[in-house]
Amino acid sequence: MKKTLIRAFSLLMVVALAALCVVGCSPAPKKELVIFSWADYIDPDLLAQFTEETGIAINYNYFNSEEEMLAKLEAVEGGDYDIIIASDYIINIARSEGLLKEIDKSKVPNYSNLNAEYLNQYYDPEGKYTIPYVAGTPLIVYDPSKVTCEITGYNSLWDESLKDQLVVMDHMRNIIGMTMKSMGYSLNTEDPDVIAQAGEKLLQLKPNIRALDGDTPHEKLISGECTIGYVFTSQVSAVLTERPDFAVCYPEEGMGFGIDSLFMPKNAPHEEAALSFMNFMCDPQISAKASVFTQYINCNAAATQYLPQEFLDNKAVNIPADVLGEIEFMEDISAEATEQMNEIWNTFKQS
Amino acid sequence: MRARKEKNARHISPTVWLLYVWTVLFVALPLVYVVAITFLKKGDVWGITDQFTLENYQNLLSPVYAKVFLDSFLVAILTTALTLLIGYPFAYFTAKFSPRVRAFIVLLLMAPFWINSLLRLNGWIILLKANGAVNMALQGMGLIEEPVKFLYNNGAMMLGMVYALLPFMITSIYNSVEKLDWPVVEAARDLGASPAKAFLTVTVPLTVPGIVAGCVLVFVPSMGLFFISDLLGGAKTLLLGNLIKNELMQARNWPMGAALSIAMLLFTTAFIFLYKKVTGSKNLGGLM
Repeated sequence: MKKTLIRAFSLLMVVALAALCVVGCSPAPKKELVIFSWADYIDPDLLAQFTEETGIAINYNYFNSEEEMLAKLEAVEGGDYDIIIASDYIINIARSEGLLKEIDKSKVPNYSNLNAEYLNQYYDPEGKYTIPYVAGTPLIVYDPSKVTCEITGYNSLWDESLKDQLVVMDHMRNIIGMTMKSMGYSLNTEDPDVIAQAGEKLLQLKPNIRALDGDTPHEKLISGECTIGYVFTSQVSAVLTERPDFAVCYPEEGMGFGIDSLFMPKNAPHEEAALSFMNFMCDPQISAKASVFTQYINCNAAATQYLPQEFLDNKAVNIPADVLGEIEFMEDISAEATEQMNEIWNTFKQS
Repeated sequence: MRARKEKNARHISPTVWLLYVWTVLFVALPLVYVVAITFLKKGDVWGITDQFTLENYQNLLSPVYAKVFLDSFLVAILTTALTLLIGYPFAYFTAKFSPRVRAFIVLLLMAPFWINSLLRLNGWIILLKANGAVNMALQGMGLIEEPVKFLYNNGAMMLGMVYALLPFMITSIYNSVEKLDWPVVEAARDLGASPAKAFLTVTVPLTVPGIVAGCVLVFVPSMGLFFISDLLGGAKTLLLGNLIKNELMQARNWPMGAALSIAMLLFTTAFIFLYKKVTGSKNLGGLM
């Protein structure tokens, strides 16, 4: 009896495995759109609205890191996914590997709504492959009642009065880049001497660092655990929403900048659906809602009139162009420079 | 006789086949893949190339990596020592209760396992943060003016490590103490040994298998845990687990990450062999 049960059970498992394979390989017949991005990066209400308007079901897949996204995209040779939202530098890599598909602009009439300042950037110089979704720049945010020194830029973070007060993102390129900018260099510097000097300078920042946190640094600032932070746009926004008494500093040494964009992989299975989704996301009202949801800078010129007042008053997401000044993208750098930075980063964390 | 044996060998039941296929597919092959990429050069942008190199193993000897190994080792040793120090008395006295109370205590010990460990660690953050329950209470009693900085230091990290791994130590030792032949201890007392002497010369040696199993179960994972130092230590210390995560996620150096993983695997395997040696057990049943 027991033996029969075991046999039946193993047979069942084999059948289940086989069934999994069959299900995995067969194409889905219904109209659908496969999106691939970070979790929670698009307002679910907007996705529901898109499905309601077009009858296209949305299949939202997410990744934790963009490297993971690129690995999957390479494995499926630019197929399987219809819309991917990712940041500039990784799109540049995907473009150099020929994984992107050109957008037929005649099917995306709302493209003309986009703010020209965010178009034709280094990762897509002719504006053929990408639609900017949101943009952002890391900023310094601090509690003026607790921070006694004057905060003007990156160099202020090294002030001795900030001992054990600072939270910064746990991100090698951003933090080493910030250090190089504080020394007056580009954050994409590949010169080994400059990187080595930045490494020395970064080690001196360690006593001021209370925590490294890329995911929830805003909570450390809101709870009063840290009094000053160098964090991403949406996190600055989150701090200001909870603690309006916090001050924002636009670093005088110049700001780093990033744009997250939508693109279609080379062999996207549902091109028509992808194009109509791109057009939908470029709609001014939709775009305004998307920015309010993500708490990042809006890239749609026609959307400004639909942005609520509190969004326009938010210093993290509405930065005057003259203040923003010379922005700089974080680009992919040489393998040697990455390796050198990695060694610096390990030494810094380990110290 | 011989023919029959061969026939038996050829006739393997489907369940066993399934186990073989499963092991090869999901344990052996991935491991072979990891070992293979440690001998390859990393790709320019990311991923791997097909060029052979021994560089990744040479890099293991660089001072930064060596220091990380040493730090992780010390943290693991300290975690093991602390869990043993807390876990032994706990397990010893639990085993002396009546079976009903014992079952209840074991249940209490196991219950937190039903909750995700990240959530449990976040619970500590809620308790210990600047405006958290502990600081509020201390301030309310007028004991402190400014909030105490409990979090984001080595102490908080050790607290998290001990908290997360203590149940492994307790259950291992408990299993040993529960099976203890108490009359032997009584005999020692009857023959004039003081309680302390009876404990040290009879009870402890008899529970060595549990102690060693607990130490291995605590030591091995504590070499690799990365999220505790990230969450409670403020990501300011680099342990082996963090280093591997960094190599894979930020430096995009898969071969180096793989080489570090293999080094860690060999290191921890050595401890499991030590376990076999000390306890003289033929299989690893005590670790289950």
